[in-house]
Amino acid sequence: MSQKKQKITRIEQPKTQSRAERLHYLAQLRGEIEEEQPKLNKGKFAIISLIILALLAGILLYSNYMLGAIETANIEGRTTSRTMMIMLGKDTGVVLGGSSDVNEEELAKVNAWSSIFLVVRLAAIVGLVIYGFYAIITLLQPKRRKPNRSFWGDLGIYTMLFIIAVAMAFPLVFSIAQSLKPLDELFRFPPKVLPDHPTLDNFSDLIVTMGQSWVPFSRYLINTVLITALGTFGHVIIASMAAFVLAKYRFPGAKTFFSIVVTALMFSGYVTGIPNYVIMSKLGMIDTYWAIILPAFAAPIGLFLMKQFMESLPDALIEAAHLDGAGEGRIFWTIVMPNVKPAWLTITIFSVQGLWNNSASTVIYTESKKTLVYALAQIQAGGVARAGQAAVASVVVMVVPIIIFICSQGQIMETMASSGLKD
Amino acid sequence: MQSQSLLKRSWDIRKEKIQYGWAAAKRMKICYLFLAPYAILFTTFFILPIVTSIYYGFTYYNILEPARFIGFQNYINLVLQDEVFLTAVKNTFVIAVITGPIGYILSFLFAWFINELPRWLRTIAVVVFYAPSLGSGAFYIFTIIFQGDAYGYLNSILLQFGLIDAPLLWLLDPKYILPIVIIVSLWMSMGAGFLSFVAGLQGVDRSMYEAGYVDGIRNRWQELYFITLPSMKPMLLFGAVMSITSAFNVCDVPRALAGYPSTDYAARTIVTHLFDYGFSRFEMGYASAIATVLFLIMILSNKIIQSALRRVGT
Repeated sequence: MSQKKQKITRIEQPKTQSRAERLHYLAQLRGEIEEEQPKLNKGKFAIISLIILALLAGILLYSNYMLGAIETANIEGRTTSRTMMIMLGKDTGVVLGGSSDVNEEELAKVNAWSSIFLVVRLAAIVGLVIYGFYAIITLLQPKRRKPNRSFWGDLGIYTMLFIIAVAMAFPLVFSIAQSLKPLDELFRFPPKVLPDHPTLDNFSDLIVTMGQSWVPFSRYLINTVLITALGTFGHVIIASMAAFVLAKYRFPGAKTFFSIVVTALMFSGYVTGIPNYVIMSKLGMIDTYWAIILPAFAAPIGLFLMKQFMESLPDALIEAAHLDGAGEGRIFWTIVMPNVKPAWLTITIFSVQGLWNNSASTVIYTESKKTLVYALAQIQAGGVARAGQAAVASVVVMVVPIIIFICSQGQIMETMASSGLKD
Repeated sequence: MQSQSLLKRSWDIRKEKIQYGWAAAKRMKICYLFLAPYAILFTTFFILPIVTSIYYGFTYYNILEPARFIGFQNYINLVLQDEVFLTAVKNTFVIAVITGPIGYILSFLFAWFINELPRWLRTIAVVVFYAPSLGSGAFYIFTIIFQGDAYGYLNSILLQFGLIDAPLLWLLDPKYILPIVIIVSLWMSMGAGFLSFVAGLQGVDRSMYEAGYVDGIRNRWQELYFITLPSMKPMLLFGAVMSITSAFNVCDVPRALAGYPSTDYAARTIVTHLFDYGFSRFEMGYASAIATVLFLIMILSNKIIQSALRRVGT
């Protein structure tokens, strides 16, 4: 702590503000002193920016329209007269078509106009983006600004964040758009991101294809749902039981065990895949669901998050229950579990994510036991004829964990707050 | 005489300790009962595999015949004979060195950037950034974006702008495969670590910022370095473990995008190499040796990074 303080004092005091001024500002922030700065009238600002944005949009549309008009005029001029005249030579005096009166002077004028409109259009786009961000960020500002935040820094960071967020979301939006495209739009050149005539044909096609397959589609779906539900349920129970005693009791070996689990956070299914296969084949679990479910029960991330979260439960709660004569089992079920609901939702999402996306191609061989992801991968391998269905398949696989995440987002964030690795 | 008594005393102390520990263990029987189901499964599917993979690494084993001990032969073959393995190691390191640190830093920066947004906007941002690593089926879409004919999005855009005059085979040309795998892995790199950062940033004590402000911290970057990072250390350590895991275990992305095997082994990673030997050729001994090597690399880089991170802000 003392080290930290030394470092902070080593920073030069800013030239612009004295310590007293900073303290004064801070007092303002906390609301101890009445504010002196004039407040921004957000309503007025919003209306003005809307007008400015509308004007900019108008300019953009107008210049776009004019550019289009000039282009068509140019093309007409070129095809009917200008090209011909150049081909024939101007001094022949041959008059071709109605619009032969287009002369070089006029053409130069039109070209000058078109370049002006191009510049205007570019300026309008840039203005729209920058002013739009400026307005949004100004409107999003809290009433009292936080210390150490400059407006331009906010502007830069949020503009960048927006661009990157769009880039991150693009493939997801695109895959959903792809699944809604009719066949002719899937293979159009140049390709468009959004479908012109969105249809649900691909979904029904997928169901038809799946219905014709040797093993009915519902079977794959049931398999995956079964595996996911069972695996997640068992994982939550078993991991919480272990996390409970690791977090709230001291007994020999607890620390060692937990540090091994933390190291095991790094063992993905890939590193242990080969020896696991050997072990499972010795235990006779190959080609049964146990080969997927049992390892999922023991996923280290679940135990880790659960234990970290349970440590924040007050010890007094458990001691009081002990005094009332409750056994460990009762304490666990009636006191601890209801209090760590955010944590189970969190480990549920991690478990679902792992199990739902598990194609299990290495441990399951019987066709009727295969999982949904496996079946969908087969369709994706179907090539051109199944392009639309493949897009639907990827959407189906993708959307389920995302929806679960969105629904339990708040609780997950609560759990992750205690996810840190302490020394 | 003296030394003997000392020895005896230390032995006594040790005995006493064990006895004490045993007594404690007996008293805490119920704890072991609670721990047992997890511990048994965890040992079977996470500890035992590591032990067996170290053991099988020294043998020739193809599941049908009993394992035959061959000493270090597997490791010698890996380094001296298996050129593809060296390519795989090179690729894995290129991917890990780029996606690991960049993904880690980006997920921290984005978590930090969205930290001050209003609540509803932050929720949307978290979903947008975290979704790619959630729906792992989504990277299938990159096969369309990088498709090798003119219908592929990247190709068609480049063709329209006249930057190329014939479609490029993005996923078949060894020149482009690795960069594409890296980009897609980066896209998916906002995982559990990112969530941990977002949650951790919300938990940083606000009075620390005010104190820092009075003490002369001038801008957000100083605030980040002197206050935010030191108070986020536990989350930073957790995030590091997560990003090392995902950086070294790149497997699904190259397999889905570049094919398996890929052209000239350009997208061969240690894990795909392991899969090739384990599940296509059933040379379990050799595959175990590869797994052991990968595991050692991961443990080692984890140790290095953890010790580096402990120094942050002190």
